[in-house]
Amino acid sequence: MSSITLEIKQITKQFHSDLVLNGLSFQLQKGEIMSVVGPSGSGKTTLLRVLAGLEKPTNGTIYMNGRDVTKQKANRRDISLVFQQPLLFPHMSVEENVAYGAKVSKKYTQEKVDTLLEAIGMTKYRSHFPSEISGGQQQRTALARAMATEPEVILFDEPFSSLDPSLRQGLRYWVRNFLVEQETTAIFVTHDMEEAMIMGDQIAVFQEGKFQQIGAAKVLHESPANMKVASFMGGHLILNDQEYVPLQAIELSSSPFKEDTQTFEGTVEHITYQHGRPIAHIEIKESGAKVPLPLTNDEQLQNEVFLSIPVSSIQRFRGTIDE
Amino acid sequence: MKLSRNSSLLLFIPALLFMSIPLYGLVTAVSQSLSDSGTWTFDYYRQLFQSERFMASLWFSLRTSLAATLLSIILGMAFTRFFHTLLEKMAPRLTVWIPMLFPHFVWGYMVILLLSETGVLSQLALLTGGIADTDEFPILTRDPYGIGIILTYVWKEVPLVILMLLPVYTSIRPEYYALVDTLGGTAWNRFFTVEVPHLLPVLIETILIVFSFTLSAYEVPAMLGTTFPEMISVLSYDWFYGSSWEDRPLAFASMVCVSFLLLVVSLLMYLYLNKARWRAMRGSRS
Amino acid sequence: MKNNKPVFTAVGIVFFIAPLLLLLLQSLSAPWRFQSGYGVDWKLESFRQLIRDPYLWEATWWSILIGFLVLVLNAVVGILTGKALSSYSFKGKPWVEALLLSPILIPVLAIAMGLHLFMIRLGLADTMMGVVIIHLVPTIPYSIKIFHNSYQQMGKALMEQPHILGAGFFTQLFTVELPLLRPALRSVTFLTIVISLSQYAITAIIGGGQVLTLPMVFFPFLENANASLMSAFSLWFAFVPVVMYILVEVILLLLPYSRVPWRNHR
Repeated sequence: MSSITLEIKQITKQFHSDLVLNGLSFQLQKGEIMSVVGPSGSGKTTLLRVLAGLEKPTNGTIYMNGRDVTKQKANRRDISLVFQQPLLFPHMSVEENVAYGAKVSKKYTQEKVDTLLEAIGMTKYRSHFPSEISGGQQQRTALARAMATEPEVILFDEPFSSLDPSLRQGLRYWVRNFLVEQETTAIFVTHDMEEAMIMGDQIAVFQEGKFQQIGAAKVLHESPANMKVASFMGGHLILNDQEYVPLQAIELSSSPFKEDTQTFEGTVEHITYQHGRPIAHIEIKESGAKVPLPLTNDEQLQNEVFLSIPVSSIQRFRGTIDE
Repeated sequence: MKLSRNSSLLLFIPALLFMSIPLYGLVTAVSQSLSDSGTWTFDYYRQLFQSERFMASLWFSLRTSLAATLLSIILGMAFTRFFHTLLEKMAPRLTVWIPMLFPHFVWGYMVILLLSETGVLSQLALLTGGIADTDEFPILTRDPYGIGIILTYVWKEVPLVILMLLPVYTSIRPEYYALVDTLGGTAWNRFFTVEVPHLLPVLIETILIVFSFTLSAYEVPAMLGTTFPEMISVLSYDWFYGSSWEDRPLAFASMVCVSFLLLVVSLLMYLYLNKARWRAMRGSRS
Repeated sequence: MKNNKPVFTAVGIVFFIAPLLLLLLQSLSAPWRFQSGYGVDWKLESFRQLIRDPYLWEATWWSILIGFLVLVLNAVVGILTGKALSSYSFKGKPWVEALLLSPILIPVLAIAMGLHLFMIRLGLADTMMGVVIIHLVPTIPYSIKIFHNSYQQMGKALMEQPHILGAGFFTQLFTVELPLLRPALRSVTFLTIVISLSQYAITAIIGGGQVLTLPMVFFPFLENANASLMSAFSLWFAFVPVVMYILVEVILLLLPYSRVPWRNHR
């Protein structure tokens, strides 16, 4: 039986009249990784800062291993936070940066520092200064420094967003594997759904101060709770605030009439190619919504097309947030 | 580091303790200038404004320090503007800081050594036949126009102006200039649309610092000034330390006048700055 | 960019280097009387005379001691206030900043005159501590400004980092903040010591002539010493900040993560 490492109950945070966090609750098992995904400015960073102890929640409680830590200051909590920027101390070498984390949390042993340096592949650069290593190496060092405090939970605030895309891809898998190997409980904040799916066992879609849905990628895709989740996943055509249809159920044709279908007129605006397949970007005349539809074969498309949707494939949002 | 409200306020305690020193000093000076052995009176201020010596001194002080301030600012700004790229290197920067290594009065002494009637320049002029006798050399120190005082202050304050403005100039991103250029702007536009908005807060602060200092410091005018007209600081110091204790309240009153004037000027400048900043903020939001 | 280096060199030599050379040359030679036909008469007499003056050494020690105490108090108040200003945002902060700058906008002479009676009552008049206190007035506003700027440059996020890792207030101060504040500490050292050395009037008022600092010796010298001696004395004033700078530099070496040749890289 796995134990609950982190649990938050009804957390709210208010800045002046803005309710940034609106009654958030969730639990994390030991070793579990949760991605929190949401648009920029939705308050994801605030959530992490509250968890880390940098901000006090307006209301609500935070439990770690069953103990209430809501009033504990950041330097007393067993939570580490890796920021967007690596924020290495410029006057310390790579090794000193990692050792610093261990020393201030009074968990310093030279072997641990060595092991961590080895794990992040920085043994060779241990005496280099942050200004002398690359962005990816800096971010890995920052991660090792956070790990050196032996945190119960480690929080990531878009740690790859300042890196260029090619580096980002590699580092994602590296961090994910690293966390799994170390059996670290983690929360990973990002605005990129793909990154969220790679990093997290569970994905929490966060918008307007609330979790719109928490679940595995498959659940989110197959039964999105509401139109916010669906539009974030991008795999559905949203018909209205009650109903949606998976993109793969939509058929394109040049004639409007078919049995048991709902039909929309559309204009093909672009054809792009992704993962080896052509994608038609279609604007639906009636609603103005834009849908990217994967094309099955290189059929000749006219500019004006009809989208027919079998009535049987139309689904209703579940409207609940639980798995 | 984000501290909780209370511990952050604790950090302000030393500053509060410190601020009580000048505050107490100023309040005492005001109360001394307003009391005649225990009773409230405006008598000293009446005496002050009826005194020709004080009025002449006040006028002379304002004129001298205003001239010194404007010259320092203009020269310092021009210098920074033209040379800020060179000043990023260590050696040129250290060269410019040389006058800052010395107290004002030492620099004043250097000015006397250089420019007095028997000074180095005068002797050189005599030697090269520029003047026939040292009497012909213009009186530049201990002169009735405050030239020596202004010269010393400008020489000493220009490095300070450079020190204050240099970080601002180096922080202006060159893209801004490129932007003005591509939009068809002139050098004039570059200055007023790019530099002035960046410089304004620091510039105003520097003007205030230099003006307050030159208006109220004692050492330089004591060395390079005449007895009439004299700078207000010298007059007040004489009254404070003069032969009779009866003049002390006058010393307080005159210094309070200067303080009041400087406070009003500072307040007006900050109000202007705040308005400008507020406007800039609102502009960036829309 | 047009080449303005020759102009800079010319201006630099005439206005910044020449004055220093003037003092140096004059201090090393007898007072100049060019028109008398004699050349420059080189001698070290002025410096010999200067260092033989017992007042000079007494005043130098007092000046260094006072300067050091003023510096320490400046560092404490400046660092804590600079940190508070950069970590805590509130309404009306620009006004608080302006208020903290105000002691250098009010005539320090007025403040010293006002404090004189108070100092007498506390027994601080005519004492070194009294002089140290009055020297804080024209220095601390600058220090607060310098440290505030430095903290702002470091950024809030870098200050949060040690806190998250578990550092307490003092650990953070000594391991992260002070090492990164080193350039600011150097600027503050120079500024405070030079300003402290520049104070004749307020030192005379509060010290009552009992506290002998260098300006207290320099001013009377003006009346009766010759140009060579005065030039030597003038240069002496630059010597004190240099001593203080070395002192501070040595103290800074004691900070953690200082790199010196004889320290192991571990």
